[in-house]
Amino acid sequence: MRTLFLSLLLCPLATLAQAPVIEISGANFRPLPIAVPLPQALNDGARSVAPEFDDAFFFDCSAAGIFQVLDRKSYLADSREGFSASTITFSRWADVGAEALVKVQLSVDGRDLRGEMRLFTVSSGKEELRLVHVVPLDQPRKLAHFFADALYKQFTREPGPFQSHLAFVRRVGKGKDVYLGDWDGKRATPVAQGNINLLPVVAPQGDAVAFTSYKSGKPALYIQRAGSAAVPLVTSGAMVTGASFSPDGRRIAYSMALGEGAQLFVADSNGGNPQPLTDTPYFINSSPTWSPDGKRLAFVSNRAGTPQLYVLTVANPKDVRRLTFQGNYNQTPDWSPRGDLIAFTARDERNAFDLFTVNVESGKVTRLTQDQGNNQEPSFSPNGRLIVFSSNRTGGNMLWVMTAEGQNQKMLPVEKGDYSTPDWGP
Amino acid sequence: MTAVASAAPVSLLVRRPEGMLLKFLFWSAVVHAALFSVALVYAKLHEEAAIDLDQKPIKATLVRQGTPRDEKLLPRIEQAPPPPVEQKAPEPAPTPAPPKTVAPAPVAAPAPPKTKQAGEKKADARQQLFGAFDKMSKSKPDTTGAANGDPSGDSAVAEGEAYYAQLRAQITRFYDVSDTIPDSERIRLTAQVAVVISPAGQLERARLAKSSGNDLFDSAVMTAVKRAAPFAPPPTHLRDPLSKYGVVLQFRP
Repeated sequence: MRTLFLSLLLCPLATLAQAPVIEISGANFRPLPIAVPLPQALNDGARSVAPEFDDAFFFDCSAAGIFQVLDRKSYLADSREGFSASTITFSRWADVGAEALVKVQLSVDGRDLRGEMRLFTVSSGKEELRLVHVVPLDQPRKLAHFFADALYKQFTREPGPFQSHLAFVRRVGKGKDVYLGDWDGKRATPVAQGNINLLPVVAPQGDAVAFTSYKSGKPALYIQRAGSAAVPLVTSGAMVTGASFSPDGRRIAYSMALGEGAQLFVADSNGGNPQPLTDTPYFINSSPTWSPDGKRLAFVSNRAGTPQLYVLTVANPKDVRRLTFQGNYNQTPDWSPRGDLIAFTARDERNAFDLFTVNVESGKVTRLTQDQGNNQEPSFSPNGRLIVFSSNRTGGNMLWVMTAEGQNQKMLPVEKGDYSTPDWGP
Repeated sequence: MTAVASAAPVSLLVRRPEGMLLKFLFWSAVVHAALFSVALVYAKLHEEAAIDLDQKPIKATLVRQGTPRDEKLLPRIEQAPPPPVEQKAPEPAPTPAPPKTVAPAPVAAPAPPKTKQAGEKKADARQQLFGAFDKMSKSKPDTTGAANGDPSGDSAVAEGEAYYAQLRAQITRFYDVSDTIPDSERIRLTAQVAVVISPAGQLERARLAKSSGNDLFDSAVMTAVKRAAPFAPPPTHLRDPLSKYGVVLQFRP
C-alpha cells in the first residue's frame, strides 16, 4: 500500500524532471530601436517652434548612445496618427523595427510653450511614460532637453546629460573666445572675448566658468560667475594655466611655471591659500583633473622623459603613481565622474592624435577613436556615459560626441568654425 | 418471514448500511485531493531548474597570427569603426519572425565540428589563392569540420548534449538585448522560457516560465527564441522528450 502511495506521488514529478534547463548567456547588447516621429503641433504658434524643438530632441535621442533612432523616411504610420495608445497602430511601428515609440505634442498658450511627451512600448502597446512640461515660448530647445533627459532616465534610471552645459573655445579672427552653451553647443553665449582665452572649465555648481587668458600678456586664470564680469582668479608673475575645480567646488588645481619646469598647485576656489603639490624642478606637471571623490588628481608629467599620466593623492602629494606606460605623448586627461576611467589624448605611432581611456585601477588602456583625423581633448558628460571632444576629421576642428566606449560618434550641431578644448559641465 | 430475514445478509438486492460507502468515498476523495495538491505544490516549487545539465562551457578564442603588437605602443582597434561622418539611414528592421531556412542537420551522427574555429573566410581565400598548390598535394585532410558545425563548437561528447549546445548557439545568435537596461539591473536579470520542439525541429510552444521583472529583457528573450526557430530536428532519442516535455531555457544577460 505504501509503495503504491509513493509511486502515485512521484509519477507526476518524474515527468516534470524530464525538462532539462539550458543556460543561455552572452547577450548582444545593442541600442534600443526607437521611433521618434515629428512632434505634433496643435496650433500655429507651436508650428513655428516645432522645428527647433525637433532639431534638439532628435539630436539628443540620436547622441544618447542607448537608442538607435530609426530613420523617419522608413516610418509607415500615418503622420496624423493619434497620440493615445488606443489610436496608434502599433503594428506599423513594429513593421519598421521600432521597439519603443515616443510622441510629442506641442501647443502655445500665450507666452508659454507646452509640451506633452508619451512613450510607448511597441510590442505591448503600453504607455510607459507621460510627461507635461511648460517653458517660455522662446526656449523650445530647453523643452527638448528636458524631455530627452526624462526619456534617458526612464530607460537607464540614471540622470540624463542633456540639460547640462558645455564650455568651449572658438577661434575668432586671431583671437580665441570662450563660450558657454547648452550641452550640444547651441544657444552659446560668450564668456570671454578678444585676446586669447583657453581651457575653460565649468564649476561643479554650474554657476561659473574659469579659463586661462593671455589678456595681461602672460597666461593667468580668470573666473566669470553668472551675471558678472570675468575677474582674475590666480595671477602670479609666472605663467598659470589649466584650472580644474574639485568636485565639491571648494578648491582649484592648476599648473604654474617655475624656473625650467611647471608645478601643480591646489588653492581655495577664490585662488587663496595656494599649496604646491609637485616638486620636480626640471620637469613639467600640468593638466590636473580631480577624481570624483576629490581625493586624487590625475595630471600630465614629463618626469620620465615623455608626457605620461600620473595620479597623486591630494592629502599626501608624495604618493604619486604613474598610470600610462604605452605611447610616448599622453595628455589632456579627464577623470570620469563615475570614477573608473580617465580619458586622454595620445599620439600613436602613426603620429595621429586619438582618444583613449585608461582604467585607473588596472591601468588597461582602451582605444576610442582611430583612423578619423586627429581627435583630442576629451571631456566626460556629468553622468560619465558620453564624451565630447574635438576632431578635425571633416576638415576644420569641430566638436563631437560619442559614448564612453567610443561608439556612436556624432558631430555637434554647431556652425562651422574652429573649436577646441570643450568642457562638459553640469 | 424468518426465512427472508435469514437470507437478507447474503442477497445482493438488500441495501447495505450507507455510512460505510460514504466514508470510503470521502476518504478516497480526501487522499486524492491531498496527493494532487502535494504534486501541484511540488511542481510549482520545482518548476525551474529541474535538472541542470551542468554542461561544459564551450569556449573558442581567436588566435592572431603574426608577431604580437609591441606593448609599448598604444592599442589599436581591430575592427575599424563605421565611418561616422554620415550616418546611413537604418534599414527597416525585419518583421519579428522572418521565415528562416535552417538547413536541417542530418541526424545520423555528423562528424564532430572539431577544427572549425576562427578564420573560415581566410581559409576560403587561401584556398582560392593557393588552389593550384592544393591540387598538387591532394593528401591533405579535410579540416573544415561538419557542415552543421558551429564555428565556436567543440567536439561534442554526447549527441544529446551536442543538440542542446546547437540550440544554445542558435538562440544566442538572436539574443539581442537593449542597451538601455542599466548595469545594476543586468547582473541580476534571469528569465526562463519553456519551449516545446517538434520532432521536425519546429517551435511548437514558447512560454515565459519565469519573468525577469524587466519587460524589455523578457520581450528580448522571447524574441530571441522565436527568431531562432526553426531548429534542427532533434536526434532520435530526444524527439519524444522535447515534443512532450520540452526544455527550459534559462537566460542571463
